[in-house]
Amino acid sequence: MELFGQTVICGVLLGGMYALIAIGMTLIMGVMKIVNLAHGALVMVGMYVTYVCFTEFGIDPYIGMFIAMPVLFLIGCLIQKYMINRLVEVDSILPENQVLLTVGIMLVLTEVMRLGFKSDYRSVVTGYSSNTVFIGGMSISIAMFIGFFIAMGFTLLLHLFLSKTDIGKSIRAVAQDRDAAVYMGVNSSKITMLTFGIGAALAAAGGSLLLPLFYLWPDIGHLFTAKSFIITILGGMGSTLGAAIGGIVLGIAESLGATYISMGYKDLVGLVIFLLVLLFLPGGFRSLVRRS
Amino acid sequence: MLKVKGIDVSYKDVQVLWDLSFEVHPGELVVILGANGSGKTTTLNAISGLLPIGKGSIEFAGADISKVPGYKIAELGIVHVPEGRRLFPEMSVRENLEMGSLMGEAKTKRKETMKKVFEQFPILEEKQNQDAGTLSGGQQQMLALGRGLMALPKLLILDEPSLGLSPVLVKQIFGIVSDINSQGVTVLLVEQNVNQTLNLCHRAYVLENGSIILQGSGQELLSNAHIKEAYLGI
Repeated sequence: MELFGQTVICGVLLGGMYALIAIGMTLIMGVMKIVNLAHGALVMVGMYVTYVCFTEFGIDPYIGMFIAMPVLFLIGCLIQKYMINRLVEVDSILPENQVLLTVGIMLVLTEVMRLGFKSDYRSVVTGYSSNTVFIGGMSISIAMFIGFFIAMGFTLLLHLFLSKTDIGKSIRAVAQDRDAAVYMGVNSSKITMLTFGIGAALAAAGGSLLLPLFYLWPDIGHLFTAKSFIITILGGMGSTLGAAIGGIVLGIAESLGATYISMGYKDLVGLVIFLLVLLFLPGGFRSLVRRS
Repeated sequence: MLKVKGIDVSYKDVQVLWDLSFEVHPGELVVILGANGSGKTTTLNAISGLLPIGKGSIEFAGADISKVPGYKIAELGIVHVPEGRRLFPEMSVRENLEMGSLMGEAKTKRKETMKKVFEQFPILEEKQNQDAGTLSGGQQQMLALGRGLMALPKLLILDEPSLGLSPVLVKQIFGIVSDINSQGVTVLLVEQNVNQTLNLCHRAYVLENGSIILQGSGQELLSNAHIKEAYLGI
């Protein structure tokens, strides 16, 4: 029973951090109507920024993330403005080509990082990364607790930003009807740029929170692209709350798989759930709520 | 106030408007009539800066706006209430109204204007926290009009506000449009509903195949033989 409790709690905590990454992806997907397959690569770049801050300057990852976020915000804005928006302007290019472009961006980011850092596995060891707290007989890593609460904090901030500010509402308006938003005076290309920037910054935040828990190497991005895609499908496109729930479900599923099947199969569990959802619940969790 | 001078507009590879000219004077309610595919919505999208203009120019309040990008048009005081309402379905009624007042003066006067809009459309106040997508067709059209008014328009452009509404609601919507106009807002109304709009407007233009083929006061056009035959079926 304690093992089960510990597994579920770990899953929830891990899922909260996955959710933050996925919220970045769902935000971009909602506004741009494309799957950003470079999303995991942005997480990876964010992790390297935090990693370098730690190894070169001794900055703690939880502080380093506040350096990684603006850096990735900038990278995201530049990608949107000078690459993706250029394709949007050309009528003859299919939307699929924007997706292909994100694949190209993913490859370039991954290989540039490999050039600089080799394919070696790296990790950040801080004073607290191996500390645990005990609740009853369950032991939970401190890093997971901190990561989860910071992730939930960012999720809440983003939710408030999207529902309370004019810019946040403009982002939602562009996602729902781009032309109508332009009639209202919204500069849609500026909004898409900002959205991509925020999405990339959230990816960096999620990556930095996971840095004390995961090994880092240039190809880790693929893992996060797959995870955010699964979460987005689970939670429904463009929904912050849906992504949070989807993240936690994925986290619990992986954690249960790792404990009761095998560590090596933990990603498989997530992918099986993904297939089942696509087959039996293609609208994600939202369709359950709508039906009742 | 608005002068459209000899514009050619193409949608992708197809030229839709051919040397189109018309004018709207301050305080007027002008109607552009036309059947489906005659180029009504294209004309409005050209004014709103969503489509590039091939030839000719558009002037608003004395300034050339042919090259002004779409998102800056609203700030100039041209507010477009699009065909099919185009609300933000997953945002609340209140949020939709707020989206109408993002710029300059409209933003600073947001609360006052919203109060006025609620006075004009009490149903919107009642449903202010409901998602726009859950409203009925008539309520959605009122919300679209309200959202347009939130921008404090100098020129209000309405694209087929009667579309898909029952005759009673159509009458009500046209009544509201007339009220808005008598409050001093210049209105450019694009419609297929010939009989009612010609009785309502000061002047009207008839658009066929991308060109203006007739113009005059509402009463003149109502007695015009071509209008009678082609649009009223008498």
